[in-house]
Amino acid sequence: MIKMQRGLRTAFVAMALAGTVFAPVSALAAGKLTVSSPQDPGSWDPIDTFLVNWASVSTNIFDGLTYRGPDLKLVPGLATSWEVLDNGMRIRFKLREGVKFHNGEAFDAEAVKFTFDRLLGPEGAKGPQQSNYNSIGSVEIIDANTVEFKMKVADPVILTKLAGYGGMIVPPKYIAEKGDAYFNAHPVGTGAFKFVSYEPKVNIVLAANPDYFGGAPKISDLEYKFISEPATAVAELQAGRVDIVIPPTIPIGMIPTIQGNAKLAVVTSPGPTVYALRFNTRDGITKDPKVRQALIMGVDRDAIIKSILGGQAQPIASFQGPLSFGFDKAMKPLPYDPAKAQALLKEAGVAPGTALQIDLRGNEATFIEVAQAISAYLQTIGITATIKPYETNVLLNDIIPNGKTGAMFQQSWGGWTLDYDNTAVAMYKTKEKWNPYDSDPKMDDLLAKQRTITNVAEREKVLQEIAHYAADRALEMPLYNLNAIFGINKRVKNFTPVPDSRLKFTDVTVD
Amino acid sequence: MVSRSASSNFLKLEFVLGALLVGVIGLAVIFSGVIFPGGAEKIDLMSRLVPPFTKPAHVLGTDPLGRDVLARVMAGGKISLLVGFVSVAGGVVFGTVMGLVAGYYRGIWDMLVMRFADIQLALPFILLAITFIAIVGGGLANTIILLIVSQWVQYARLVRGSVLTLREREFILSARAIGVKDWRIIVQHLLPNLIGPVIVLMTLNVATNILLESSLTFLGLGIDPTIPSWGGMLAEGRTYLQTAWWVSVFPGLAILLTVLGLNLLGDWLRDSLDPTGRTSA
Repeated sequence: MIKMQRGLRTAFVAMALAGTVFAPVSALAAGKLTVSSPQDPGSWDPIDTFLVNWASVSTNIFDGLTYRGPDLKLVPGLATSWEVLDNGMRIRFKLREGVKFHNGEAFDAEAVKFTFDRLLGPEGAKGPQQSNYNSIGSVEIIDANTVEFKMKVADPVILTKLAGYGGMIVPPKYIAEKGDAYFNAHPVGTGAFKFVSYEPKVNIVLAANPDYFGGAPKISDLEYKFISEPATAVAELQAGRVDIVIPPTIPIGMIPTIQGNAKLAVVTSPGPTVYALRFNTRDGITKDPKVRQALIMGVDRDAIIKSILGGQAQPIASFQGPLSFGFDKAMKPLPYDPAKAQALLKEAGVAPGTALQIDLRGNEATFIEVAQAISAYLQTIGITATIKPYETNVLLNDIIPNGKTGAMFQQSWGGWTLDYDNTAVAMYKTKEKWNPYDSDPKMDDLLAKQRTITNVAEREKVLQEIAHYAADRALEMPLYNLNAIFGINKRVKNFTPVPDSRLKFTDVTVD
Repeated sequence: MVSRSASSNFLKLEFVLGALLVGVIGLAVIFSGVIFPGGAEKIDLMSRLVPPFTKPAHVLGTDPLGRDVLARVMAGGKISLLVGFVSVAGGVVFGTVMGLVAGYYRGIWDMLVMRFADIQLALPFILLAITFIAIVGGGLANTIILLIVSQWVQYARLVRGSVLTLREREFILSARAIGVKDWRIIVQHLLPNLIGPVIVLMTLNVATNILLESSLTFLGLGIDPTIPSWGGMLAEGRTYLQTAWWVSVFPGLAILLTVLGLNLLGDWLRDSLDPTGRTSA
């Protein structure tokens, strides 16, 4: 018996040794990392999505021509260098050589052209990404490793956008062979991790790509579990079944729970997500800018940040955080001044006890608390605010676009380009989906003007002007810029939180 | 067979306990406005999450917005009890009328009402709730209507069953033979004879509906979060369960005690209305 065991053991050792000989690279990478993500995007095709939680997985599968890392600086990705020509009307990219897709297909100029033809063609028109890239006219192949983008209009943000969702390079032969539907559930890219399996609403499993051009990842396996319920995600973290819980999952109220556990830690970083209560500027008492200013001044936003948000947010003066291009440091929020607020309301002829309604997403525990505090502050200046919770999709796709909100409604926004252009156009441009009430020719002009400017400093000035103009008209009650909150197990080493949730797990190790 | 005296003692205990629980909670809820004027809504961000039994001003502690938990539990009962009682009353009236019509007239009426009831019973409650609220919206009145819509069937079936046995009994046949009008037979002869089991079902359903309101609010399908209700408080306290248990435990306890009290009363009522243990329908 003993002899047999020894024999078996020898066999195993021999097999293991053989394994290391045959697969030396995978033996270097070791350990599995499990990540809890609050949402399953449903499709992994880059042109099908605009969800942050698509990117928090797919950044590990796909690459763009450019790449924006945790420091938010733009660096070469699949392109090694680029030249901007003709005042931004042509951009020429030199492509990285010797890169292969996970299925063995070569990455070359052909793949880049295919990606953008697909994005800008009928297939891309079905998804939400195309509109971000409409400034691109066509992509021309110069040689196997050089492409040229011919622009319809100069686009100051295009290099950033190429690092964004729709700009992810996809494999032409694979998609032609397998079809789009198969690609949605079986993504193939050039990224640091290869797709292994995907079970909708449950998980997606990835494995290290040892040939990754940026260097092989230090872990061998990566699994994302989709857990939407914060209490469940935190319980999994406490139980050690999940190593990292990524935002937006953990409510402020649960931070002490995680901090109370010696094996866990809370890591935060400034994030792109800003919160505001926007006004119905078309009807009712909030039609009057004075009333809107009064409502802003009637709410002590700093106290809300300090108490309910545990300091995990910064006050904002316009609808953008400090990371956003177009942010003006010198701009100060309207002060908390209930006396002045009451005076303004009186001036505007608003009777004490006037009622208004705040619409919000019914599933955001923290914001519901914030809204109740706001309602209490408004009570002190003589406004009776009721709160109406909606299912998130109903609020975003029916109530706001069709102008059926109360006097105030929740808007949370996390523009991944971190450029105020993206936010301001969606919020203030006439007839945009989420701007049902306001139409202002001066605002429209400013928004159109900044898109044509390629000079960085000049464009920043115009964006700041837009921010000031929106604040002068008091188009919304800017509340705060919330930190990105990660819960991690301390066995995870080398983890850098990123502001835009686009985590790349190449350098992370696990004990 | 339990001896009569022993069982009547037991009945008494059920009644005393049940009445005490429901009475005390009812009074606390009714007079919450007098005991804590405006206390349930008063937000004080400086004293958030005060633990219970530490400050005399906040005996049961405060919630994440610094509101007094005791005041909120007492005020929150208004919504919960209102929903519980009004929805049951609505369900009973509608269901009983439907059951009487179906059972007494039979024929096409019976077929229509009972087939409709069967269809409705085939739908799970949550599906019905989500569809209903997606169409007509949330809020207090709609929540009550939803509960009535989902529960009248129980009463209709119970009443119809009783009517089917009663309508063949001699006293009904003789009433008919001497030409008593239908509505008089129904009101004077049928109703008093079948109301017992209905009352019992009512007491049980008040408890069920308080729990249903809680779960609807918990799912975010219910009521304005600024209006305190037991279910809403449970939902709010969920994120704080591990660091501030009192935010959700006390409203949960209030639900538990109310439901327990009502169930005790229901048991007592069933036994005293039905001493032979006869099952109806």
